[in-house]
Amino acid sequence: MLETARPLGTPLAKTRELPLAIVLRQVDWLLVIGIAALVGYGLWAVAGVTGHEVPGQPHYYLAKQELYTGVGAVMFLLAAAFHPDLYRRYWRALYVVAILTLLLVPLLGVAKRGSRRWLQIGSFQFQPSEFAKVLVVLALAGFLAERGRALRDRSTVIGVLILVAIPTALVFMQPDFGTALVYAAVTASVLLIAGTRWLHLGTLVAATLIGAALLVWILPALGVQVLRPYQTQRLTGFIHPSFDPNHATYNVAQSKVALGAGGLHGRGTIGSTQTVLGFLPENHTDFIFAAIGEEHGFVGTSILLALYLFVVWRGLRALAGAGDGYGAVVIGGIVATMVFQVFVNVGMTMGIAPITGIPLPLVSVGGSSLIANLAALGVLIGVQMRGEGARGRLK
Amino acid sequence: MPETPGGFGSFVPGDPRTREPWHVNQQTILRAGILGAIAIALFVTLIVRLWALQIISGNEYLRIAQNNQVRTVRLQAPRGSIVDRNNVALVTNRLTHEVRVWYAELPGKGDRPTRHAVLKKLAGVLDVRPRRLYREVDARKVDPLNPLVVKADVNHWQSDYILERSDRFPGVEVASHYVRDYPRGWLAAQTLGYVGSATEQEIKNNPSIKPGDLVGQSGVEAAFDDYLRGTPGVAAQGIDSQGRPRSELVANPEPQPGDTVQLTIDSDLQSVAQKALKDGIQIAKNSCASCWNANGGAIVALDPNDGSVLALASYPSYSPAVYAGHVTNRKLARWGLTATSGLADNYPGLNRATMGLYPPGSTFKPVTAIAAIQSGVLDPEANLHCTGKLIDHGHTFNNWDPNANSWINLPTALALSCDTYFYQLGQKIWGLPKGYGAPIQKWAKIFGLGQHSGIEIGDYAGIVPTPKWQRHHYRAPFGRAEDRTWKPGDSINLSIGQKDLQVTPLQMARLYGGIATGKLVTPHLLASVQRDKRTIKLGISKAPEAIAPGSDFSQKLNIIRQGLTMATHDPIGTSSAVFGSFPIPIAGKTGTAEKYSNRDQRNFNQAWWCGYGPTDKPELVVCAVIENGGHGGTAAAPAALEVFRQYFHINHSTYTLPTQTD
Repeated sequence: MLETARPLGTPLAKTRELPLAIVLRQVDWLLVIGIAALVGYGLWAVAGVTGHEVPGQPHYYLAKQELYTGVGAVMFLLAAAFHPDLYRRYWRALYVVAILTLLLVPLLGVAKRGSRRWLQIGSFQFQPSEFAKVLVVLALAGFLAERGRALRDRSTVIGVLILVAIPTALVFMQPDFGTALVYAAVTASVLLIAGTRWLHLGTLVAATLIGAALLVWILPALGVQVLRPYQTQRLTGFIHPSFDPNHATYNVAQSKVALGAGGLHGRGTIGSTQTVLGFLPENHTDFIFAAIGEEHGFVGTSILLALYLFVVWRGLRALAGAGDGYGAVVIGGIVATMVFQVFVNVGMTMGIAPITGIPLPLVSVGGSSLIANLAALGVLIGVQMRGEGARGRLK
Repeated sequence: MPETPGGFGSFVPGDPRTREPWHVNQQTILRAGILGAIAIALFVTLIVRLWALQIISGNEYLRIAQNNQVRTVRLQAPRGSIVDRNNVALVTNRLTHEVRVWYAELPGKGDRPTRHAVLKKLAGVLDVRPRRLYREVDARKVDPLNPLVVKADVNHWQSDYILERSDRFPGVEVASHYVRDYPRGWLAAQTLGYVGSATEQEIKNNPSIKPGDLVGQSGVEAAFDDYLRGTPGVAAQGIDSQGRPRSELVANPEPQPGDTVQLTIDSDLQSVAQKALKDGIQIAKNSCASCWNANGGAIVALDPNDGSVLALASYPSYSPAVYAGHVTNRKLARWGLTATSGLADNYPGLNRATMGLYPPGSTFKPVTAIAAIQSGVLDPEANLHCTGKLIDHGHTFNNWDPNANSWINLPTALALSCDTYFYQLGQKIWGLPKGYGAPIQKWAKIFGLGQHSGIEIGDYAGIVPTPKWQRHHYRAPFGRAEDRTWKPGDSINLSIGQKDLQVTPLQMARLYGGIATGKLVTPHLLASVQRDKRTIKLGISKAPEAIAPGSDFSQKLNIIRQGLTMATHDPIGTSSAVFGSFPIPIAGKTGTAEKYSNRDQRNFNQAWWCGYGPTDKPELVVCAVIENGGHGGTAAAPAALEVFRQYFHINHSTYTLPTQTD
């Protein structure tokens, strides 16, 4: 036993890093291929969807997305190269960075379509809340690692909730309700993997449901508006699709038409009228799944979902083989983030999830989302290749 | 320094028990399994829903998607042409291009090119002032559903420039449509009428008319709108989500062009009539001291055998093209075609031939004569004393010629237009017992006065004052006692076509046609309706109605005709100077009717001449009236002569200058 017996909180110098050649041989190449396939599929889909978007520049978005992929690949490698102990030991720093960048948004941020989510750095607009997703996972895992034996204590659960409440409140005010929901999902998954008591988990789930009911139905009925009316409408629109006085669900209606019209084989990149003629809104960002569905049909969408599921499977496999509880919690948070985002985004395009503006991981056009997701998966690989499972295979 | 959990720098306390390693245990694996199970459940949900959408309902959504991008457009049918009796085009269609701006589609904040740049460029291309364009576009903010017409009827190069660079002109649209074109310019403007967008009432009354359709609003365009309008087609067009066209229009069914309407109008005669009217007004202005404000008039030329209207001239007039394409109130006001601007320009939009109401004056005398003969108070052969004035019940009624003093019979009285002769007839008729009724009014009505003539474009009925009418409607001129009983003076005034009698020039033409042929025609403008060069319908040719039965009556009419011929050919005749040397025998009567002008607070003489020719076999009736034109023989008769000259193709050398007569 080399590292698994390593006590938590030991100084960095005592962390023994394996030689690079051995570490690389321990990488789950299937997982890496799965991630690469998702990114490649995303680029191919973006090429088809955005070919007519900018007249005269068929590769306008594709070129951008390729650039982001390049940056994302570097981030992926960097994130994997650092030893997970670094993240664990400096979780406070990571947390502070997340909070500070989120705090900068309302002060210096750029507003688009009524939301202030972006920071302008040169000509590049970057969305702190995307990076905060992975930073929050690392911070929570780090905090839990420090309380290793007290995981079943109520105080630990409350500490996690306090830690996550601050970034959640910050993105909620942007307003970015979708990302706030992602943080909630992250919290739940991290607590689940860390071994929180079922009683506590159950209480949290119940409290969340009651809170959601309060937010959407009960408080407005009492005259307290926490959510803006359009947010409520988007959240509940998928439950009553015919009640749509402000066309809040117009996007979803067009999205369903796009998906349905795609049929089994799709309508191709030229014949997809919903996408090409602009009936489908945000067809390369939030609603890219519907555009893929129209252009490539059920075949294309089910392949995409299968790729996600494949990555999730390899990810959970890495979780089980993680070197320690900390690594398991990190992987669990990252995998759950991805599953949740895929489900909410894809569900939104089909009218079974609220309209939240969560992008489709690794596929939607958008630098911050792509780079942050690749960095998160880099962290996952970093944990995986140093874990027990990997070494076990080595033996 | 070894880091102590919960020590310095910890903003969340650590746990002292964490010195022990945190292993991945069976519980962790179980929980990972739960996470995996949730993931699988979510993905299965997605796949099932996806299957339902794409495979099971795929065809339904495909149909919605296909309908999503198709807009049906109503295709304007080219309106039918209007031609004259010789198939000379009077109104046709012209394809024009109109540049519009849709406010909602202009670039918004942050877009490139900016809204300002687009509008500036557009203003440059269309040669309009940029400032004005910005202002008009801003004003359209409240009404984004209707486009702003920046310029109607743009050049080909302007529309091509915009169409070829449509990506640089977001929100700018070039719309093509047909507008009315008038190859003969000002010809018969009021008679032809104009078209305009369908009014709410028209849309309500006719289900086939939709908002935006062009519908005839007046004149021939309105009267024969059902033939001219055609049937609009329907076209499908691919559009994007912004409603911008993305494909060619595919028409199904194609629009059916309107039918061609052939009028009885003779465009050459109409043209001459309009010029003669204008010249006549000029003659009146030059020759008559009080005719400085001669400023309007009408000429009607009619076939007395079937009622075909050959010319309907009305002055002042306007260019009908003002109604073609984009019509603005300002443009109309410049031509005097709005309610407020009309007065200054003496109402150019009014068709005086059918809707101008004037007292007929002496041209009415034949009716008085017939009424007197028929009621037995006049022997046409007997002589009556023509004097300078007649005094009745203390009122003095003057003759136009104060020095007249001769015993004359009816034809001579018509030739001389002796007022006192007809005053006496009026007196005698007034003196008739009650059972005789009101013979002058009765015969006026028989000759078509006081009622609509039946012309398709509509007209005014005018007024034939009867004792009963006077009791109900009479209004005394301002400052006089109002007495509504019918007095001898009323009959005397009526006998020379004065006071409250009001007729249209068309009614008088019809009346003189009746004298010429003994039959009353229904004036009409429609010769035929043609589709693809084939006649599908003929105009109304109602058989003329005999005015009164019996050869006895036609003998009496002959006496009138004789008088009218003397009036134009006998040296004593009131218009002999004009018609005496004309190679075709013309019979006709001058008239000088006093009409009170509200504007100038005084009486003006309305110059009339009505007549027909050739006398033995009448082919054409002409009636000319010149407002405030003084004596009929001076201004109206020469204008009428010009129409006869054109009709009979007599060249200009026989023209002689008229002298002042009545």
